[in-house]
Amino acid sequence: MKELSLNILDIAENSVKAKAPLTQILIDETETTLTIAVVDNGCGMTPDVLERVTDPFYTTRTTRKVGLGIPFFKMEAEMTGGSFSIESKAESEFPNDHGTVIKATFHKDHIDFIPLGDVVSTVTTLIQGHPDSDFIFRHVFPGGEASLDTRELRNELGGVSLAEYEVIKWIDEYLKEQYQSN
Amino acid sequence: MTVAEFAEKYSLEVLSMPDPSREIKGGYMGDLLSWVMGRAKADQAWITIMSNQNIIAVASLIDVACIILAEDVRLDESIVENAKAKGVNVLAAKSPAFEVACEICHEIK
Repeated sequence: MKELSLNILDIAENSVKAKAPLTQILIDETETTLTIAVVDNGCGMTPDVLERVTDPFYTTRTTRKVGLGIPFFKMEAEMTGGSFSIESKAESEFPNDHGTVIKATFHKDHIDFIPLGDVVSTVTTLIQGHPDSDFIFRHVFPGGEASLDTRELRNELGGVSLAEYEVIKWIDEYLKEQYQSN
Repeated sequence: MTVAEFAEKYSLEVLSMPDPSREIKGGYMGDLLSWVMGRAKADQAWITIMSNQNIIAVASLIDVACIILAEDVRLDESIVENAKAKGVNVLAAKSPAFEVACEICHEIK
């Protein structure tokens, strides 16, 4: 993909599909590295499924026989000399402590590094598409950070849906302001 | 022209050819796999320098006539085996992608 933010969207959509009440998108950026972690408390995967998810010929989709979200993400990290890891605990085996952690580290100074792109759009797209799921977004970068927790927002809003246009617009501006003030 | 005929005529190395009589009806050149996935079309010969296992999945998804690896790029044996298992033709060329594209163009125009 031309921007890592699109990969993040793809991976976070998997978390929502895994019925995660809370999905965390944590980006940790230094001068030379970028680490993206997507952490959810969804239904998780059993070890045999986990073993196959980086294989592009494995997918949970029934409409086609190839699934490339995770294989592409892994490849893009490794192309920069970085690393990729995935850990998961299935709800069937860990009823009280289940979910998936996907983590990829990129070397920003490698010529094949794909830019992060528009993560604010990724966050607003996720919230608008899944207003009943919760998301924590935190991007720490040299000189500052931008963050959002929809659980706090939900308390403030009372019964108003997070998918409301005014709410999404506010989130968009709130996050952009945090980037600008740093 | 079929994949087998093309390989023979331009002396390309055959890495995997489960479907030699597959007709080449066009070409596509690209290395950003997500981009190729949305743009290459069935029955085209796809020229690339990428060599990880994801190219086999992309080729299988689009149903290209064959993958042509340019610039003498090599594949791991496990990837070659996977290409054979998934019915994906893979050829290897010593020449750069542009020249391979010119050869395809010459044959189909």
